[in-house]
Amino acid sequence: MNVGLTTSPENGSSADAEAALSVRDLNFYYGNHHALHDIMLDYPARQVTAMIGPSGCGKSTLLRVFNRMYDLYPGQRATGEVIFDGMNILERTVSLDILRARIGMVFQKPTPFPMSIYDNIAFGVRLHERLSKSDMDERVQDVLTRVALWNEVRDRLRAPASGLSGGQQQRLCIARSIATRPEVLLLDEPTSALDPISTARIEELLDELKEEFTIAIVTHNMQQAARCADRVAFFYMGRLIEVDTADRIFTNPRQKQTQDYITGRFG
Amino acid sequence: MSMAPVPRSSKRQFDFDIFFHWLFWGGAFVVLLTLGGLIVLMATGGWQAFTTFGLSFFDRVVWNPVKDHYSVVAPLLGTIVSASIALILAVPLAFGTAFWLTNIASARVSAVVGTAVQLLAAVPSIIFGMWGVFTIVPFIARVLQPFFNHHLRHVPLVGSLLTGPPVGTGLMTSGIVLAVMIAPFMTAVMCDVFGSVPAMLCESAYGLGATRWEVMRKIIVPWSRNGMVGAIVLGMGRALGETMAVTFVIGNVTVVGWSLFAPRSTVASLIALQFPESPAGSIRLSSLMALGFILMLFSCASLVLARFLRGGRK
Repeated sequence: MNVGLTTSPENGSSADAEAALSVRDLNFYYGNHHALHDIMLDYPARQVTAMIGPSGCGKSTLLRVFNRMYDLYPGQRATGEVIFDGMNILERTVSLDILRARIGMVFQKPTPFPMSIYDNIAFGVRLHERLSKSDMDERVQDVLTRVALWNEVRDRLRAPASGLSGGQQQRLCIARSIATRPEVLLLDEPTSALDPISTARIEELLDELKEEFTIAIVTHNMQQAARCADRVAFFYMGRLIEVDTADRIFTNPRQKQTQDYITGRFG
Repeated sequence: MSMAPVPRSSKRQFDFDIFFHWLFWGGAFVVLLTLGGLIVLMATGGWQAFTTFGLSFFDRVVWNPVKDHYSVVAPLLGTIVSASIALILAVPLAFGTAFWLTNIASARVSAVVGTAVQLLAAVPSIIFGMWGVFTIVPFIARVLQPFFNHHLRHVPLVGSLLTGPPVGTGLMTSGIVLAVMIAPFMTAVMCDVFGSVPAMLCESAYGLGATRWEVMRKIIVPWSRNGMVGAIVLGMGRALGETMAVTFVIGNVTVVGWSLFAPRSTVASLIALQFPESPAGSIRLSSLMALGFILMLFSCASLVLARFLRGGRK
């Protein structure tokens, strides 16, 4: 492995756990704009890895590589490797619908589909599995229970999801993502549009979800990274500056840029 | 804290607040006055025809300037059928084009084609009329109609709809010309509608592993339903009221029949052709005004229906 690459920091404690996602020499381009430079990073299985850094540092871009979301947009391309379950997901031959069922994503703002609460969950499941009515009911109840939404919505499963509060909608979106039984969950600033109480509930939820899923979360909120993440990766100007356990990043970072960022000197 | 009073001239030359207050109120009033005036004018103009012919204005098929006997049936049917043909042809075309432009085509191609669509929507209808006369009419007269006449003559129902004298003018020709006229317009509106679907919503569906087809059917279409109904109603309004392009290619015969390929007339084309030669105070002029009144009611009813459909889906 290219540990000697000057732009690639060491991978911290990645050896401790088996990696669910391994990024190798990843470069990303928006047309002619080179947005990510030679990223080398492991996402240990069943841990929360937070990606922090100032706006435009490439952290969301990296997240969107993992489910090939950039494929929707002509002119965006990635080179290098992202190894998931033994395959390089950047290969042309990878089936995107299966990949995206195995790597779920939650967005900055709640995005309930224009349909009922029940159908919001069932939508993704129906794309990949044929379940009987009772199995589907069970799946819906199961995921809603896991995001602590079941008691709030059990009586109005057929009501439009747009009637829920912002925090409830975001928990619904998380439920929807885990309903297809993914292995990895990508969260792109999932609480940036939520109030502090809803944010706290989502953060608690992450703690439970990581027992089952590998979680990659992009956040602007350093306290959130400190509270939820096992490991933290700091990005700046499209480069991975440093990755380490959350404790070490926030108490004793090795790089000066990391130190400056977390102490609020820029960003 | 005390501040020096801002020096104001006590006698202002001109009070803009009052001026604009009355300007805007006047504008709103003119809108109501115009609408009311139109309704009253058309209703009183058509009054003589309504009272003279009574119910037979609506249930007899006749338009006879010699005997001075008129009814609305033939031209109104012509209007409805030609507009329906136009919508049946144009709605899928507009939907497909708009979806392709907003969701599939690359930004550069989309910009070029999108601009072309908007230019096409701005072409005056008379141009489409002339194009219809020189392109669609000969095509139908020389190619389509002989083909249908030869192959479908003995097929029940379809045969009577699609066969007819190979003259080229008629409901189908008008429908095609109207479709080409309203499709760019509806495409432009639908592009705006599809463009307003939040990208994040579509990405969420893609993120669950949905294909383009699934995203279109389950997310984009339900989300844009109201806007699409609006686009279709706007297109329908143009198709119902379009005069010149239709007058060029419909053949202008006031009869009723099964064939979609025989010459017919529409309310607007009939008014355009016969209005100048109807003497003031004649029952013929009154009948034309009555036609206009009914066309107006018809357009308003479709607008109300569309509002209702949109409201019902909220």
